[in-house]
Amino acid sequence: MTTRVEQRLLEVADTSPETLQAVLEEHGWGDGLPVVPPTEDRVDRMLAQVPGDPDEELGVLHPRAGVVTPRVAAVNAVLAGCTPEAFPVVVAAARALARPELNLRGVNATTHPVAPLLIVHGEIARRGGFNAGVGAFGPGSRANATVGRAVRLVLLHVAGAVPGSGDASSQGQPAKYAYCVAENIDESPWESYAVSRGVTAPSAVTIHCGEGPHNVHDMESAGDPALILDKIASAMTSLGMNNAPISQGELFVGFGPEHAHSLAMVGLGRGDIASYLFDHARIRAGVLRRHFEERAWATWMKIVADDHLLPMTGHPDNIRVFVVGGPGKHTSLIPSWGMTTSVTLPVEEGDGS
Amino acid sequence: MSPLIYRPDGEVGQAATSLAIAPAALDGLRIGVLDNGKPNAALVMTRLAESLAERVDAAVSLVTKKGPHGRSANAAIPCAPDVFARVVDESDVVITGTADCGSCTAYSVHDAIELEKVGKPAIVVTTTQFATIAETMSEHFGLPDTRRLVLPHPIGGTDAMTLESWADAAVDTALTLLEP
Repeated sequence: MTTRVEQRLLEVADTSPETLQAVLEEHGWGDGLPVVPPTEDRVDRMLAQVPGDPDEELGVLHPRAGVVTPRVAAVNAVLAGCTPEAFPVVVAAARALARPELNLRGVNATTHPVAPLLIVHGEIARRGGFNAGVGAFGPGSRANATVGRAVRLVLLHVAGAVPGSGDASSQGQPAKYAYCVAENIDESPWESYAVSRGVTAPSAVTIHCGEGPHNVHDMESAGDPALILDKIASAMTSLGMNNAPISQGELFVGFGPEHAHSLAMVGLGRGDIASYLFDHARIRAGVLRRHFEERAWATWMKIVADDHLLPMTGHPDNIRVFVVGGPGKHTSLIPSWGMTTSVTLPVEEGDGS
Repeated sequence: MSPLIYRPDGEVGQAATSLAIAPAALDGLRIGVLDNGKPNAALVMTRLAESLAERVDAAVSLVTKKGPHGRSANAAIPCAPDVFARVVDESDVVITGTADCGSCTAYSVHDAIELEKVGKPAIVVTTTQFATIAETMSEHFGLPDTRRLVLPHPIGGTDAMTLESWADAAVDTALTLLEP
């Protein structure tokens, strides 16, 4: 009698890149790029890095209602080229994706180009080789690239987010291949983002389902940090983003370390920055009403007069601040898909046995 | 022996369900319209409900948005519980949608399946461009044969007269979908 685990095994002619690619295509799997063969020994090496039963249910991922377990996550991590050391982040991300407030069914199915952004915090960011510095959103770091890719493969294979059937994204976006950075805590003037959200574990991961990063460049603001924030507010003030009609949406602001220090030097903390941006990024209510037939607004926003200037989100706490990147005067704004709430969870690591 | 690799997809956790029993006859029945707020959704679905009611001597009993108290709607989340209860209470069959984008298709199909589960036959109004997504979602959510009524695309941005003609032309299909 075969076990459930054995039923998950496929016989292949060989494990060459060409054969693997053909197997993936035959099943409608993969992201189009070459993969590493998910053999039993490779999957076992991943599983040795996480505690607990490899076949325990981490969550159900929609729309396919696929059950994700550490083993299933490990298969996708191997395919993506992850190192075992970084794998616990994939397991934590799988748990986060299943949380109801993240609304994965909507995130995956929508015509919007939303992709889940992973922000890795704490000890595992360093030990797993994640890039928090120069070019963090870009290529060159195996951990960022392959953990981001592993999460996308989990979405494709387990959640059924296949373009045209479970993912209706009209145009897609490059962040749907891989979207993973580490928080640059070494150069952050503030406490860890995870700690600021009440997650005090040594390692953690945040998932925010949003657009690709929109750059904000400011090198004029020496001595006047308001100029940096005004430019971010300007980038936030867009009718083209879902934050305009949906007030529960968050706006993540990934400050470059130099911008962060310019703000911290005058004593600004996360809450001050959120309040400033809440106050300065505004659009007239009448303009929003004209542009959006349906507005998922907080009740207080519905009763204001047309000439009132409304903020781009319903509450300052929806503006989230973290530090990422290297030298230079650049910050990233990551608007939300809208009907989703970010999740921060601890990353649990095993003892390698 | 050939090498073995793991499948990457995992098992499916959704329990299968089945359609509600369709009424033996439609005359005298109450038709409810559950509107997700997509542009022109209320217009095209209300017209469909009215034309259907006229054909079979039924009545349009309720047209409501799916948000709390029926005052607003967000197409990317499930129907609000109070509205769901009202629709169940005040309708014998339901027309819902429109499933003409991604997340709204997922949640229109979800809402329709929840209605079928409590015995209310529910037609999901979708469009040619989103029929495949609606079909996939129905399979994923455990009810492959949801009652999907496919209109031309797009519903948003099309003029009222055209939409009304599409709705009128879809009455025969709606009747087929509601056959016992």
